[in-house]
Amino acid sequence: MPNLASSPLLSVTDLRKSFGGIHALDGVSFALTSGEVHALVGENGAGKSTLIKVLSGVHMFEAGEIRMDGDGYRPTSPHAAKVAGIQVVHQEFNLLGDLSVAENISIEALPKTKFGLLDRKEMNRRARAALDAIGLNDVDVTAPVRSLGIAHRQLIEIARALQSDSCILILDEPTATLTERETARLFEIVSGIKAKGVTVVFVSHHLEEVFGICDRVTVFRNGKTITTENIADVTPPDVVRFMVGHALEETASDAAAPAHSREVALAVEGLQTTANPSSDGISFELRKGEILGIAGLVGAGRTEVLRAIFGADPMLSGRVLKDGAPLTIRQPRDAIAAGIGFVTEDRKDEGLILEMPIAANSSLVDIGTVSRWGLVNFAAERAMATQGGARLKLKYGKLSDPVSSLSGGNQQKVVLAKWLAGNPSILLLDEPTRGVDVGAKAEIYSILRGLAAQGISMIVVSSELPELTALTDRILVMAGHQIQGVLDRSEYSQERILQLAYGQETNSERKTA
Amino acid sequence: MSIAEEVSFTPRRKPVSIRSIVNNAGIGLALLVMIAFFSVASEHFLSANNITNILTQITINLILAVGMTFVILIGGIDLSVGSVMAFAAVVAGKAITLPGLGPTELIILAVLAGVVAGTICGVLNGVVSAYWSLPSFIITLGMLNIARGAALQISGAQTIYSFPFAFEEFGSLLVYGVPVVFIVALALVVIAWFVLNRTVFGRLIYGIGNNEEAVRLAGHPVFWYKVAAFSICGFTAGIAAIIYMARLNIASPIAGIGFELNAIAAVIIGGTSLSGGRGSVIGTLLGAFIIGVLANGLILIGLSDFMRQMITGVVIVVAVILDHYRAKYSAS
Repeated sequence: MPNLASSPLLSVTDLRKSFGGIHALDGVSFALTSGEVHALVGENGAGKSTLIKVLSGVHMFEAGEIRMDGDGYRPTSPHAAKVAGIQVVHQEFNLLGDLSVAENISIEALPKTKFGLLDRKEMNRRARAALDAIGLNDVDVTAPVRSLGIAHRQLIEIARALQSDSCILILDEPTATLTERETARLFEIVSGIKAKGVTVVFVSHHLEEVFGICDRVTVFRNGKTITTENIADVTPPDVVRFMVGHALEETASDAAAPAHSREVALAVEGLQTTANPSSDGISFELRKGEILGIAGLVGAGRTEVLRAIFGADPMLSGRVLKDGAPLTIRQPRDAIAAGIGFVTEDRKDEGLILEMPIAANSSLVDIGTVSRWGLVNFAAERAMATQGGARLKLKYGKLSDPVSSLSGGNQQKVVLAKWLAGNPSILLLDEPTRGVDVGAKAEIYSILRGLAAQGISMIVVSSELPELTALTDRILVMAGHQIQGVLDRSEYSQERILQLAYGQETNSERKTA
Repeated sequence: MSIAEEVSFTPRRKPVSIRSIVNNAGIGLALLVMIAFFSVASEHFLSANNITNILTQITINLILAVGMTFVILIGGIDLSVGSVMAFAAVVAGKAITLPGLGPTELIILAVLAGVVAGTICGVLNGVVSAYWSLPSFIITLGMLNIARGAALQISGAQTIYSFPFAFEEFGSLLVYGVPVVFIVALALVVIAWFVLNRTVFGRLIYGIGNNEEAVRLAGHPVFWYKVAAFSICGFTAGIAAIIYMARLNIASPIAGIGFELNAIAAVIIGGTSLSGGRGSVIGTLLGAFIIGVLANGLILIGLSDFMRQMITGVVIVVAVILDHYRAKYSAS
């Protein structure tokens, strides 16, 4: 093994990068030692992905320094990063499904014969060698990639990455789509390539994996690196604590005491979604006037629950009862008819018709009440939009302005207005303040609390824990399409929520000295 | 351009103004420039006779383009309208030459038969492409062949002729020099404008073209709206078939070859975005005029039909490039 302490293979010092006003990287420092497996962990949005994008030449950094083998490193394109020896295996695959395994592996540098034609023999030979090198002897290099399972595709990506002379291999959430057996296989391969001197950077939300195969771990929080520790010196609860940060503990106790009744507004029983048919199903209750939060990591199945309740995606099995009566929801209009509204995660793709006026967006759901015999009553529509705007303190120029002319916070208010126009009794909200500035966030919180006081029940999915602890009366924590736990206001702590979200609740009581 | 300068005086309304001006007035301006040029270049261009000519020539394309506007607004395309028109014409031609009926009955029967035949093709286009979420490009390409084959099969590849006198007369009837068939086309434009701008249906047609998922999640039956858009396109192809028969006094199974491309060109030149959600039927009217005036004027100033084709092609490409910048303007 190369010398460890003296010269790091790659060192990052005080790296900074911002998008608009948001500091995605706000002082990131860490070092990679040759031949180690180094984990990067942190909450969603802590800066891991941005760092990877900087290292792989997708984004340029603004300040700080990266040194590789002692020299300055500033990749200007993904190609430059590859030439320098940094390869990334992304969570979304970059494979060409209809081409063969061999073609995919060689796509960056296809071998040519002396006549300039594709040298299939050489290509297949190289692919075979690349696959054998990671122990994939059972894959036929001439098979189309589409015919292989997800796990194999992932491994082929790794084979491709290793085929060029990479010295650093970055695996971004490699196990997100793998089963346990496949994950075990992947880990064998990672140990194998580590033994060959390749340095592996491992990004994962699964702490047990980090503790299973990594040598060191660097923890990110709010765009900063908090610490780098040897895995042998820490426990998973320690790492969770680093991720949360003590400063962030419980700041939201000022919210009004839960005013909701015991009456159940919506009951979900044994809900299974197409996204995860194998799970046991999800059951929970939403009380009248309650704001119920759903916490969890990206991919935990939170959005899927909302979409299934709303009929946006088909429900595999399970029941939804409103006020004790079962609902038949096959499509969104059934849910709307039952008095359910759904503020989607992505207002640009699913919530708003950006080029259309504010008024037209406000009436999109409840256009029936501002029209007669199929003709739009424009005066009534303007009245509806004016009223909705006033209720939500919407700031706008004219109702005929396109909704794209509004700020993020005001766009979100238009989405809310659209759903409130029909006086729903239940609102589902997915990341209600994403891309909204701090002031507008506070405003949206107070609007939502006001709605709850009027008796509207809400389910709020959010990746921001301070948002959930500030806004909600109870929090469901999900991981792997299952409910891991339900916390009442009195039990709120970021640490507790994260431990549940990371599936660490069993270890949480064991603390090291 | 002077339009842009004008707009900059009212900065607050800028995005809206630029868009509406470029969308509508811009095309109208281009049309006016074209008319001015041809009236100077050719003394015959503005003669009453020639104007009647132009109006007659653009009628069929305008009718097809009105229906096409609906389909393109939802982000689709209908390549079958030319063939569907021929199919509807043959069906109507068979109906109008049935023995043993009076001319009035025959005409009513033929109009109904033609319009129903066209509409059925449109419904099929819509149902198949919307139900299986397939690209309408492919589905209507299939219909292009199906309808053409059906037209040839039904007619035995023979042109149908000898229609009632009143029907043939209607095709060349003028009111103050304006062809009645053009007035029919204009009426369709007015109806389409009303539907698109004043009804819930029209609102949601634009909505689907912009953001189909948002419309679906708002609880609207997107599937039926899409089917309706294609059905309207088939309906107008049926109307076009009747007009075509009245004008030429024949129903030919090989009529309308390539007409779909002219109709699409009129819609696109008229400023409707090929990706849907943006545009207007007034633009389509102007687009059809631009193609018609260009065709007529270029021949009048002595260019060959080949040159005319080339120049029309250039205009289409320029229109799409302008559309690109239009999209950029409205995005910022």
